[in-house]
Amino acid sequence: MKKINTKPLLKAESIAKRYGATNALIDANLKVHPGRVHVLLGENGAGKSTLLKTLVAAVKQTSGRITFEGEAFQAKNVQEAMACGVVPVYQHLSLFPNLSVHENLSAFALAEREMQNVRRCLIEVEQAKASLLSVGLSVPLDTLVGSLSIGERQLVEIARAVGQNCKLLILDEPTSALTSTETDKLFSIVRDLCAQGTAVLFVSHKMDEVAEIADDVSVLCDGRTVVDCVQYSDTNESELLEAMLNAPVTSFKRQLPVHSNEIVLRAEGLKVSRNSNVSTLHAKKGEIVGLAGLVGSGALSIAEALAGARQISDGRITINDVLLMPGDRAEATKKGVGYVPGDRQTHGLFPILPALTNASASLTKQLDRFGFLKKNLEIETFEPWMEKLKLLPFDFELPATQFSGGNQQKIIVARNVALPHLSVLVLLEPTRGVDVRARQFIHDTIVEAAQSGATVIIASTDLDEVLSLSHRTYVIKDHCVCAQLTEGATRQCFIDALFSQSERAVA
Amino acid sequence: MTEHREIRRSKQGRLRLLPAGYVALVLLVVFSLWVPRFAAVGNLENIAKNASVLAIAACGQLLILVLGGLEFSIGASAALASVVIVLTVPELGVPAGFAVGALVVIGIAFINGVWVAYFNLTSLIATLGMMIFLTGLTSAIAGGLPMEAVPTKEFLWLARGEVLGLPAPVLLAILSLLLVHVLLKHSTFGRLMHLVGSNRTAAIAAGTPVRRVMLWGFTIAGGFTALAALILTSKVASGQPNLVPNLAYETIAACAIGGMQLNGGKGHACHVLFGVAIIAMINNAAVLLNLPSPVQQLMLGTIIIGSVLAQTKNSNLWGVGFFSTKKVSHAHQSSQ
Repeated sequence: MKKINTKPLLKAESIAKRYGATNALIDANLKVHPGRVHVLLGENGAGKSTLLKTLVAAVKQTSGRITFEGEAFQAKNVQEAMACGVVPVYQHLSLFPNLSVHENLSAFALAEREMQNVRRCLIEVEQAKASLLSVGLSVPLDTLVGSLSIGERQLVEIARAVGQNCKLLILDEPTSALTSTETDKLFSIVRDLCAQGTAVLFVSHKMDEVAEIADDVSVLCDGRTVVDCVQYSDTNESELLEAMLNAPVTSFKRQLPVHSNEIVLRAEGLKVSRNSNVSTLHAKKGEIVGLAGLVGSGALSIAEALAGARQISDGRITINDVLLMPGDRAEATKKGVGYVPGDRQTHGLFPILPALTNASASLTKQLDRFGFLKKNLEIETFEPWMEKLKLLPFDFELPATQFSGGNQQKIIVARNVALPHLSVLVLLEPTRGVDVRARQFIHDTIVEAAQSGATVIIASTDLDEVLSLSHRTYVIKDHCVCAQLTEGATRQCFIDALFSQSERAVA
Repeated sequence: MTEHREIRRSKQGRLRLLPAGYVALVLLVVFSLWVPRFAAVGNLENIAKNASVLAIAACGQLLILVLGGLEFSIGASAALASVVIVLTVPELGVPAGFAVGALVVIGIAFINGVWVAYFNLTSLIATLGMMIFLTGLTSAIAGGLPMEAVPTKEFLWLARGEVLGLPAPVLLAILSLLLVHVLLKHSTFGRLMHLVGSNRTAAIAAGTPVRRVMLWGFTIAGGFTALAALILTSKVASGQPNLVPNLAYETIAACAIGGMQLNGGKGHACHVLFGVAIIAMINNAAVLLNLPSPVQQLMLGTIIIGSVLAQTKNSNLWGVGFFSTKKVSHAHQSSQ
């Protein structure tokens, strides 16, 4: 077993960060060594971003200490952190699309010189060319950044960091928007940088990337470091996955209602994106079917397609043997397909409209009489649902923005379960950003919808949620179904299924 | 637990006057006391008559604003209608000529709706382009000069006639306001307009026929513009390329002064009522006080910004909070 000999460049010890009542980080540790690629793994919400922010001094940790080059790290803001040589490249690129590559490369220098004369604040052409060369990018300096591809932009951003005398380069999920060739190129540049002695902290949740790039690995789970700087050669994928998903099991086993054998929803030869494989799936009347996958697996895209909220590349979806027009929500709603979108704010809510209007948004046809709204029927329809879901505050006239996330989600769930002739109910991340009590009520309502004969599809990256609620779970990987789990499957079954290539049932 | 379950229908069934309503009342009282001849019955009737065209056109604008759009072409569209009416009345007679004018306006609104709903143009671009196009078209037809119509009693009736002692334009304005109120607050279509205007993406996800709502919303708004155009034509008894170049701005201003937030998804007939009333009273008082027209415009401009600032809950009148620390720190991070 080979030991890491050098002293760590950056060391974070028992970092905790509290936002109000929530603990984003509880006990996070991190050691990054010069000349090595350190991959930080963790599911969404594990605390990766918060940890990064403390490292670049964008937020101040509640407790814990960070040492950099053997001394206490004292940067007070991001600028000072960068002056020390800690340079972040964020998921959302922070370039100026309307400025040239040269101007973008000069942005840091400009910020440091405090705006004297814009002309003089461009860095030397030679220097700019050299930093572009170091990332293997050959575009003219006067190219507009907006005209570059996402991958090229990322390289410009890394070039800018390298030009900054960067000792620790932090890449926050850099490959999420890249094609595979762009990813390969990025990886080779990362390796080059390491060979020159730069330390790289690479944040990711994609296991296959880890295998390719990692020297060392740490895993965060629920705000704690569960794997602390292990050499990648000493571990393996399934060990890391287990550590990543090893959240304490909070949900109890619930009794699922019995479902019939009549198949309602069928998807044949479904391709949600051009490059994905074909998947075939079905769901029966009264059955709750889960689509489980890691972030970026495509489980949500497949669910969107099943709800008629997304164009598909190929395949056909039928409901009770009637073809569903892809990407036509109006038609799907008429057929009784409910849809709880994954992004509540942009796809779900009508922010300034009252709760009741939000709830009845899919029901305008049923509330219509000779062009007028039957407002009494509207209240009568939703009062029982809101009571069941325990909407708080129980005020139907309050604008949707004034409810908490959990209550907003209750409103959107009510909108869909109240659909007449509800045949299929598709929910994406039904309890993301929702408190525990609201989660309970929403889960109860989902089960009740199934009990009354609706076919329910739950797509979620929250494994506990999918596994505890579903009669049957499809495991989604690379935008297609790779395995099927039956009721009562555990996290271990899911992890095993992710690694088995052929479709098989795991009990 | 039971306390939570009792529905609070706080805002239902209780009449709450908009802030702009108080402003209108205060202006009414102040002008009545201080401006000579303001409170005379004849003058008040005059105000109502002058305001009615703006009120009707603003009803149309209100619908577009609820949809989250803007309509700039209504002035140009009314001008074209006046020219068309003057040209067709000698051939077809007054009713048919006016009907053709109305159809022209509604047709233009329909075309705007098609651009916005089916070609995803922003309403600003679609209607701005239409405005410039129509101005050119009208000048080409009319040759740049007003075209006089034969001022028959029939032709002038819409502007000068009376029904049950009420001037026809005032009656039509009242009917328009009522119609718009019912449409927005009690009809299914009005509900759909609110949904689309509040969040188009969410409306699509909820299964709302978004494109159809946009198209017919524009067309119905065109109906109100048409009515305003007919009354105006009857009033001036001529076809004028330069009939009401500022109608679009004035209607938007009326809604804003009336307290409407122009982000879409929200709107009430009272916004139009109070906004138009405030504008009309100020204009009238300025005339009675012999203030020159530049002064009127100065006042109106000030009032638009002032009333909107005063009615925005989170606005900071003195500008100190415009760059709150939160925003600065955010900008900081993203520039790294």
